[in-house]
Amino acid sequence: MSSTTADCGCPPAAPVETYTAKDFRSTLKPIWCPGCGDYGVVTGLYRALASIGRPPHEIAFVSGIGCSSRIPGYTTAYGFNTVHGRALPIAQGIKMANPDLLVLVAGGDGDGFSIGGGHVPHAIRRNLDLTYIVMDNHIYGLTKGQLSPTTPRGAKTSTSSYGSIEEPVNPLLYVLAYGCGFVAQAIPSDMDGMTKVIEEAIRYPGFSFVNIQSPCVTFGDPEDQAKVQKAKMKKLSDLGHDPANRLRAMELAQTYGTDLYTGVFYRNPNPPQTYDHYIRERQEALRPKQAAA
Amino acid sequence: MNDLIIGMAGSGGDGIVSAGESLISALAREGYYAILTKSFGSQIRGGESSCRLRVATAPVLNPGGTLSVAVVLNWEDFLKFGGELPVGPDTVVIYEKKTGVAPADIPLKIKPSVVMAVPMSEMAMKAAKTLQAKNNVVIGLLAGWFGFGRQAILEGIRRKFGKKGEDVLAGNEQAFAAGFEYAEQNPIGTDKRMSPPAGSGGKRIVTDGNEVCAQAALFAGCKFFGGYPITPATEIMQHLQKDIWKHGGSLLQAEDEIAGIAAAVGATYAGKKSMTATSGPGFSLKAEVLGLASVSELPLVVVNVQRGGPSTGIPTKPEQADLFAAAFSAHGDTVRPILAPISVEDMYGVTVEAFNISEEFQTPVVVLSDQEIAQRKDIIDPVDTSKFKLVDRLAPTAQELEPYVRFRFTESGISPISHPGMKGGSYLAAGIEHNESGAPTSSGEMHARMNEKRLHKMDALKNRRDLFVIEGDADAPLGLIAWGSIAGVALEAVRAARAQGLKVKVLIPKLVYPVVEEVYQDFFASVQHGLVVEQSHQGQLHRIIRMWTNVPRKFTALARSGANPITPADVLAQITQISQTLAASPALVPTA
Repeated sequence: MSSTTADCGCPPAAPVETYTAKDFRSTLKPIWCPGCGDYGVVTGLYRALASIGRPPHEIAFVSGIGCSSRIPGYTTAYGFNTVHGRALPIAQGIKMANPDLLVLVAGGDGDGFSIGGGHVPHAIRRNLDLTYIVMDNHIYGLTKGQLSPTTPRGAKTSTSSYGSIEEPVNPLLYVLAYGCGFVAQAIPSDMDGMTKVIEEAIRYPGFSFVNIQSPCVTFGDPEDQAKVQKAKMKKLSDLGHDPANRLRAMELAQTYGTDLYTGVFYRNPNPPQTYDHYIRERQEALRPKQAAA
Repeated sequence: MNDLIIGMAGSGGDGIVSAGESLISALAREGYYAILTKSFGSQIRGGESSCRLRVATAPVLNPGGTLSVAVVLNWEDFLKFGGELPVGPDTVVIYEKKTGVAPADIPLKIKPSVVMAVPMSEMAMKAAKTLQAKNNVVIGLLAGWFGFGRQAILEGIRRKFGKKGEDVLAGNEQAFAAGFEYAEQNPIGTDKRMSPPAGSGGKRIVTDGNEVCAQAALFAGCKFFGGYPITPATEIMQHLQKDIWKHGGSLLQAEDEIAGIAAAVGATYAGKKSMTATSGPGFSLKAEVLGLASVSELPLVVVNVQRGGPSTGIPTKPEQADLFAAAFSAHGDTVRPILAPISVEDMYGVTVEAFNISEEFQTPVVVLSDQEIAQRKDIIDPVDTSKFKLVDRLAPTAQELEPYVRFRFTESGISPISHPGMKGGSYLAAGIEHNESGAPTSSGEMHARMNEKRLHKMDALKNRRDLFVIEGDADAPLGLIAWGSIAGVALEAVRAARAQGLKVKVLIPKLVYPVVEEVYQDFFASVQHGLVVEQSHQGQLHRIIRMWTNVPRKFTALARSGANPITPADVLAQITQISQTLAASPALVPTA
C-alpha cells in the first residue's frame, strides 16, 4: 500500500480504525426479490470490508446494470451504478485517476460476459489493482428471464422457448485464459467461504475476479437454488488444490456448469507489478524537477 | 504582394508535403503568417500527395481559393486534386519539364498567362545526385521567384540535413541554390514578389489544432485522457501521452471507443478533469456514456474532430456534419453544450472554455473541431495564457457535508459535488434517475424536477455573449452565419465585400448549442437576406437555428458536402448577388 497523500484528501492508506459490517451498510433498502442470492453477497461484502478496514469514503464501488448492479447503493462506499457493460472501464478510470482508492466492481453475468465481455480481457491484461465480483445467476433477472451468456444449453427461458441452442460462456476459464492473477468462486449460502474469498480477492495486489453463483429465485432453474448449490458445493481446499497451480486451476474450471467448486482456483504466487504502480512510477519520473523541490 | 497561395502536387516520393513543411517553418522564422493544408490519396504510403500553402504578412484566416502559384511535379497527380488546387488565369504554373508536355498544351481548362517548364529532376540530380533533393529545387524556385525566406530556408536545410552528413547537406543546399538561380535567370515578368513581413517571427510557432487542443487541455488542468485511435483525432492522444504524466495525470489507450469515454467518466467521478477525443464513428459509440455523464452531472470534455461521414465516410477530409449527432445523440431530455473553434489558434481558448463550462455546469461539453483545423498547420503567435481564468467544480463546504446531498435542488441548478476520497461526501452516482440524495427513483414527479434542474442549470450559459463573434455593419440587411473552420472563410468574404462598399455582417457562434435565441434575434433584427455558410449537405446549423429562432424569410444556406472546399470567392460571389437583389427591391431596405 502507498503512503502518498493524493489531492483527494485521503489519509495515508493504512488500516488503523476498526470497522464492523454495519459501517458499510447503507440505509437504502434492496429491491431484490425475497430469497435472492444477492442479499447474501452484500452481507458477505460488508463483512469482508470490515476486515479489510478501509474507511467507506476511500472505497469506490462501481457496477453496471442488472439486479446485482444495484449493490453499490446498499453500501456506504462511494457508489457508481453506471450503464450496462461498462463498469470495468469506468472503474479503471477511477483507479487511474486516484490509485489510493480501493476500487470494487460488481455486476451480473450478462453485464460482464455479454454486453461488457469485450472489456474483461483488457482489464485483466492491464492489471490495475481492482476486484471484480460477478453475481452469476445464469439468467437475465431484471428484464424478467431471458437467456444470459451463462445459461446452460437446452434451458428454456423467455427468449428460448424451445431451449437454448448455444454453449454458455465459462467465466472461470475465460479469465484464467487471459491471465487473471486471482480467480475464485463462491456461493452465498456458504457465507464464511464467500466472505473469505472476497477478502482475499481484495487483498490480492492486482486484478482479482470472484464468480459468485448467486441464485435467481424468480427466474432461475429450480435446480440452481441455494439448497441445491450448498449440497453440490465442493471446496477446493478440501480437495487439496494448490492455488499456485494454474494448469490444474484451468482443468478444474472446465467443469463449470456441472461441478460446483468453491474457493480459490488460482492465485499468482508472484504477482506482477500493477498498472497503477507503473502510473505512479511514470508520474514520478517525469515530474518537473522544480515542482518537486 | 502580401498574400500568396501556393499549391503543389506530386507522387508520394516527390517530397511535396515535406517541401510545404520546410517552407512554413522558414516563413514563421521570417515573420510571415501562413496556413499549410495537406491532402493525400487513400494509399497508406505512396500515391499522390499535395499541399497548399497560403502565406501572408497578416494573420491568415483560411487556406484560400484559387492558387497564385501551382507547382506540378506530374500532371496526373495534380489533376486528381481538382477543386482542391484550382488554377485561374493569373496563376503562375511551374511544372516538371520531364513530363514532356509543351507549355501550350498543359492539361488545364484555363490557360494561365505564366507557365514555366523547369527541369527539376535534372537539376536535383546535377546538384545532389538524387531525386530526393527535388523538393529543395522547388523551394529554391519559389524563394527565387516570390522573394521570401532565403536565409531562413537555408537555416532549415542545415538543421534538417546537418545530421545526415556533409555530402547530403551540401547536395540539398546546392539543389536549393540551383532552383534559386534558375528563378533569377528566368524572371517571370509579373511582379509577384511577397512584401517583407512587418517584423521578425519572434517566438511564433507552427502548429495544428490537435496539438493546440492537447496543450490547452493540460493548461486547463486535464488530468486524465481515455481514447482510441481514430483519424483525424489521434494526434490529440499522441501529444497528451507525452506530457500528461508531467502534470500528475495519466492516459489510457482503451480497448475501444466506449471504454475510452467510460474511463474518462470514471476519472471525472474520481474528481479529476478528464477528456476523450474521437471522430464521427467513435462519437456514435460514445453516445450512451455521454448520457451517463449528463444524468450523473459529471464534468467531461469530449472532442469530436469531424470528418466526412456517415460511417467511415472520408476520414481524411473535413466536414461539418456531426452537429446533429453532437446535439441529439443522447437519448432522453438532455442538453450538452457544444463549442466549435474557428481556427487553429482558437482551439486553445475553446478547449480551455470547454473545461471551464464542463466544470462550472457539471456537464459533458462537446468540442466540435474538424479535420482542417485539427490537421492543418498554422503559424500563430504564442498563446497569451494570462487571459484565461480556470474554473473548478463546486466543492461542498463542511456544512454541506452534514449530511451531504449530492443532487440538492439549488437556485442555479448546480449542486456541490464530492468525489471518492472525500470524507463525508459518499453518495451513489447513477445512470438511473435519482432523488436529491442519489437514491434511485421511478417517480414521474422527481424525474420532471431533475430534468428541470439539469436543463435549467445551463441557462446562465446564454449570457455568454463572448462566445459569439459579430463583425460588420450592425444595421446590414445582409447577414451571414458561419462556424468552425468555415468561419474564417466567411469572415474574409465579409471583409472583402465591405471593402467594396457593400453592407454586410457576419455572426460566428463558438457556442453552437444550446442555441442562444437572443443572440440570433438581435442579429436578425436588421437582416432581410442572408446565408448560413457551412460544410454539410443538409445545412445542419441552419436547421438547428431554425428550430429555436424565427429566421428572416430569405435566410438560406450555402451548404456544401464535406471535402468540397468553400472559398472566400464563393462566399463573396453570393454576397454580391444578394446585395444586387436587395438593391433591386428597395422597399425591403430599411430607410432609417
